[in-house]
Amino acid sequence: MLSKAAPRHAERPVLRDPLWVRWSLTALALGFLALFVLLPLLTVFAEALRQGFAPYFEALAEPDALSAIRLTLLVAAIAVPANLAFGVAAAWAITKFEFSGKSFLITLIDLPFSVSPVISGMVYVLLFGLHGWFGPWLRAHDLQVVFAVPGLVLATMFVTFPFVARELIPLMQSQGTEEEEAAASLGAGGWQIFWRVTLPNIRWGLLYGVLLCNARAMGEFGAVSVVSGHIRGQTNTMPLHVEILYNEYNFVAAFAVASLLALLALVTLAAKSVLEWRWGEDVSGRGH
Amino acid sequence: MTITVSQVTKRFGSFLALDAVDLHVRSGELLALLGPSGSGKTTLLRILGGLDRADTGSITFFGEEALGLTPRDRQVGFVFQHYSLFRHMTVHDNVAFGLDVRPRKDRLTRAEISEKVTDLLELVQLAPLADRYPAQLSGGQRQRVALARALAIEPKVLLLDEPFGALDAKVRKELRRWLRRLHDEMHITSVFVTHDQEEALELADRVVVMNSGRVEQVGTPGEVYDQPASPFVYDFLGNVNRFECMIRNGEARLSGLSLTVPATAIAPGPAVVFVRPHDVELVPCDGDAGAGLPRARVRHIFSVGPTARVELDIEGHPLEAVMDQDRLRSLNVHSGNWYAVRLTRPRLFGAGTRELP
Repeated sequence: MLSKAAPRHAERPVLRDPLWVRWSLTALALGFLALFVLLPLLTVFAEALRQGFAPYFEALAEPDALSAIRLTLLVAAIAVPANLAFGVAAAWAITKFEFSGKSFLITLIDLPFSVSPVISGMVYVLLFGLHGWFGPWLRAHDLQVVFAVPGLVLATMFVTFPFVARELIPLMQSQGTEEEEAAASLGAGGWQIFWRVTLPNIRWGLLYGVLLCNARAMGEFGAVSVVSGHIRGQTNTMPLHVEILYNEYNFVAAFAVASLLALLALVTLAAKSVLEWRWGEDVSGRGH
Repeated sequence: MTITVSQVTKRFGSFLALDAVDLHVRSGELLALLGPSGSGKTTLLRILGGLDRADTGSITFFGEEALGLTPRDRQVGFVFQHYSLFRHMTVHDNVAFGLDVRPRKDRLTRAEISEKVTDLLELVQLAPLADRYPAQLSGGQRQRVALARALAIEPKVLLLDEPFGALDAKVRKELRRWLRRLHDEMHITSVFVTHDQEEALELADRVVVMNSGRVEQVGTPGEVYDQPASPFVYDFLGNVNRFECMIRNGEARLSGLSLTVPATAIAPGPAVVFVRPHDVELVPCDGDAGAGLPRARVRHIFSVGPTARVELDIEGHPLEAVMDQDRLRSLNVHSGNWYAVRLTRPRLFGAGTRELP
């Protein structure tokens, strides 16, 4: 008996539940997933293609839709690199050095997770809006933040602020500072240590964090909705454009744009799976 | 390359890791820092290597003040306890790292670096594994890569932190001999940290015994083993029998025992007497030789290899003796037998000497 027992949990007699328990639990989980995840996802594509491919592509090629796509890409192209740089810097500081106020910084990084996105949008309106703290000054200098691209970028950056840092901190904590010390003892300077030792060790975790950050940056609705002003063709990102089209009963166009966002989500998930499968230990920080 | 450490103190919060340590490392020697965990030996090594800063005190490398120097300027090679190899680099790239990161004006060409790395990998007998990654190597191989990597920068001093600590016993012995041979060939001033007294005594030219952030004794392995300067050193190096005693009239009477040892050069008062197990001699009770000696009963015999360890009970106190197998047989030692006991080389430490922790 002992010789046959492989170290897999499923084959340990103690952990073997009756067949009907296993089956009903599996069925429950799968049914739940199908109903709440798969079905809506399929609906998006089904609705988008209800009238065939021609209206689908027409809806995507429409100037306002194109403008929304461009704006979304622009916002992500600014917000993601900014949070990449910040996330790496914050994770580096938190894991490789001792300083006072460290736990406060960690809490601060988590803040966007705990604050409702609408509130974060409101904060920027209160700060930079016409009647906000910096409003008069901005107007005097002919700068527009709220209801313009800068506001969208700020709101998106705020919401996606934690993704990269949160991904890197546990990874870098598990890796410790030993390799950095070794590099220093071999004569490497600070930048050399970062580029040659630290960064290569975190690259897959970093890519994963960037993917998540990007997905959220492109899909963010709440915060962006508050600061956008919903000017068609100017300050509408893709999620906002979907909402407008839907409210106008233009379902095919709404779902067509929505399907792009759904595709982005699927690509992100696929990339995440590949990363976890290929470099599971490096990504999750469970290695070594 | 001589190193002089004077009055170096280091605190971690309220913990005093190093307490005004003085030390002189001679050029070309292999020096062991030996002590229990928490004795400050690794902290001292890290300060020598520039990885930690001393709070006060000074360190000179060949007469030049070194505390303000970066690790690069000190030209030390550091071998870490857990190797700390760069996990994303091949063995070759690990060894080449110290050469690759030099400022452009001091840097060798790619071909020269490659050649040097190959030479080093041959030195540590790892040339065929140059393209492997650290994860694909055994512990002993990783340790040798770490050594080659440290040697690549042609350090004036080599510092090794518990170099064999993470290896199994057999590999540890092999690597220890190999390192001794390597040192004899290269004569690079080397300091290594260990908590293993056997390792320190076998490998080092001189041993620094550390305890609670202080240096207890510095000397050759023979000196620290045969003439321990303090009760701590005596206790830490090898097995030992320890008895409280009271000194009166040039004689030390062991507490609770009808046993005395001569004590001429020590002031009257409470003291401690140490006896190594191989200095405990068993004598048959029935002959003349055993007359007047205290008796002890054998409790247990551990007999593996060339020597046997005998646990005795002497008037209610445990006593350990070590003898070779021939002696064990000729005395016919068995559990429950009684013997007369003679302590051939007892060592006394008066109350004034530093106490054990």
